Amino acid sequence: MRLNPSLTTRLRVGFIVLFAMLLVVSLLGVARLFQIRVDFEDQTQRYSDLDVKAAQMQTAFATENAAVTAFRRGGADQAQLRDATAAADRTDAQALQLAAGDSVRPLVRRRIAAEEDWRRRVADPLLRGGAPSAQAQRESGASVEAASRSLAAGVDEAKDASRDRAHDRTRNTTILVAAGLAAALLAALILFSGLINSMRAPLARLVGGARRLAGGDLETRVKVGGPVEIAILGRAFNEMAAELERDARERDRLERMKDDFVLTVSHELRTPVTVVKGFAEMLTAEKGDLNSRQREAAEVISDSAGQLQKMINDLLDLARSDAGKLRIETEPVSVRTLVQNAARRMKPEFEEKGQRLTVSVESELPKVMADPHRIGQVLSNLLTNANRYAPEKARVRLTAAGAGRQVEFAVSDDGPGLDEEELEHVFERFWRADSGESQEVGGTGIGLAIAQSLIELHKGEISAASEPGEGASFRFLLPTVSEKANGASGDGAKPARKPTQRSAAKSKA
Amino acid sequence: MTRLLVADDSETVLLMLERRLEMAGYEVITAVDGQEVIDKIAAATGRNAPDMILLDAMMPRKSGVEALQELREGGNEIPILIISAHLDVEEPDRMAELGANGCVPKPFEWDELIGRIEELAP
Repeated sequence: MRLNPSLTTRLRVGFIVLFAMLLVVSLLGVARLFQIRVDFEDQTQRYSDLDVKAAQMQTAFATENAAVTAFRRGGADQAQLRDATAAADRTDAQALQLAAGDSVRPLVRRRIAAEEDWRRRVADPLLRGGAPSAQAQRESGASVEAASRSLAAGVDEAKDASRDRAHDRTRNTTILVAAGLAAALLAALILFSGLINSMRAPLARLVGGARRLAGGDLETRVKVGGPVEIAILGRAFNEMAAELERDARERDRLERMKDDFVLTVSHELRTPVTVVKGFAEMLTAEKGDLNSRQREAAEVISDSAGQLQKMINDLLDLARSDAGKLRIETEPVSVRTLVQNAARRMKPEFEEKGQRLTVSVESELPKVMADPHRIGQVLSNLLTNANRYAPEKARVRLTAAGAGRQVEFAVSDDGPGLDEEELEHVFERFWRADSGESQEVGGTGIGLAIAQSLIELHKGEISAASEPGEGASFRFLLPTVSEKANGASGDGAKPARKPTQRSAAKSKA
Repeated sequence: MTRLLVADDSETVLLMLERRLEMAGYEVITAVDGQEVIDKIAAATGRNAPDMILLDAMMPRKSGVEALQELREGGNEIPILIISAHLDVEEPDRMAELGANGCVPKPFEWDELIGRIEELAP
């Protein structure tokens, strides 16, 4: 099994290793510095002692020399001379002991040798009853003096060297400790960056996965890896993605079922409506054979079947729009023709309510790129709305005017209008405004929703504006035919089946 | 008198069309599926042969679309008007490719239907 410790374990181990390394390096450094200090103090002490001892040696020799001089003049006896010699020897032995194992020991020996040489040439002959020359005494004495000075200088030198050595060792140790600490920190840095790197790749995968998921790619899964905690996060992410995907699929399935259901139902309703409408129209056409009440009934049946047909067509349009199957066939169309046809179709409804419909179209408007049947349907829906919501005797205006490279169509009335909240919902399906006097206004509440879908398919814009009490106005913009497209349509290269298509798509709005 | 073969699997639609087309002065023969259309066209000869067919696109046993294909593949050029409750925008293109002379959606705009019949079977 591959070793994959958890994040906490990695961090803990990292900190412990770092701490241990720092501790060891620091302790070793401190111990060594302490040792250097102790050694330095020992040596300093020894050289001070040697200094003193060298001075004592000199004093002892001076005493010895003075004893020789006195002896020669008869001012001292042999015993005094021997005492002075013995005292000088003791001091020499002590100095030798002090200098044991040190660099100054040869100097001490040389000094002692010089003294012994002096004794051989001066003191010993004198004791044996000889008479060494004053010359020899002076020369030998001078050579002992010289050896003494050189010893004192040697001790001073050794003292300086000892101090320098202590300095060097302290500096080296400090450098070593600093290097050790730096190495420990470097090791920790490598350890932690390894830890971070072990998280970086799986975290980057998670971030990428989350972005793809947010972007709608529900099949996104991330490769699980890295420290245990990150791996757990990766697994949880994948579980979440799977859950989201399952939900989305279920939602899509239900949505499709709903769309299919509406499409099927609308289709299936068409057959009975065809029959009812057909027979009702047949009866109303046969006026002579029916009495007035039968004729009235036949007319009502015929009208209702017509309304039913329109509702079914609206529902179908909405279902098609939801399923993305609502299509338009655009061609260059005259604005005037569109407006006048719509007004003519709706004229009976306005006359019935005693409303006045006025139409105004700006002169010399360019053609618009539109599906004439569908824009006719939009205009009919807007006019039907105005007809239903405006009171009797109201005035309704249908206008078309240029607006840059677009044409603005507007239907406005002087009815009760809509308040701000109502305006927000006016294009929602199955929403209907309060008619004020709670009269039945009819309609399914999907006319404006369909109008919006159709205008959006035309790449146009539709909007509603109103002040309560001052009527409502609905406007939409359609793009005009560009010069190029206009020329292309002038070639008359329309497919032969065009009329069939239009008639097939035709249904009374 | 212009003779029309009307095919629809709904008896009530068939009855309504028969009555109204007869009132409009046409002679009407009916069929309830594509196979009956093929059979009746094959059986009728000379003066008895229909002048055009009103064909429901979707019928059991043999659909109007299949009957249309079969007739056209057999070289029969009789005018055929497809009537359907299932027409979507792209459907008429497909029907025209298969050799239909036109499409009319259900429910009918009566005047439009009569217009198309007069156009195809004067």
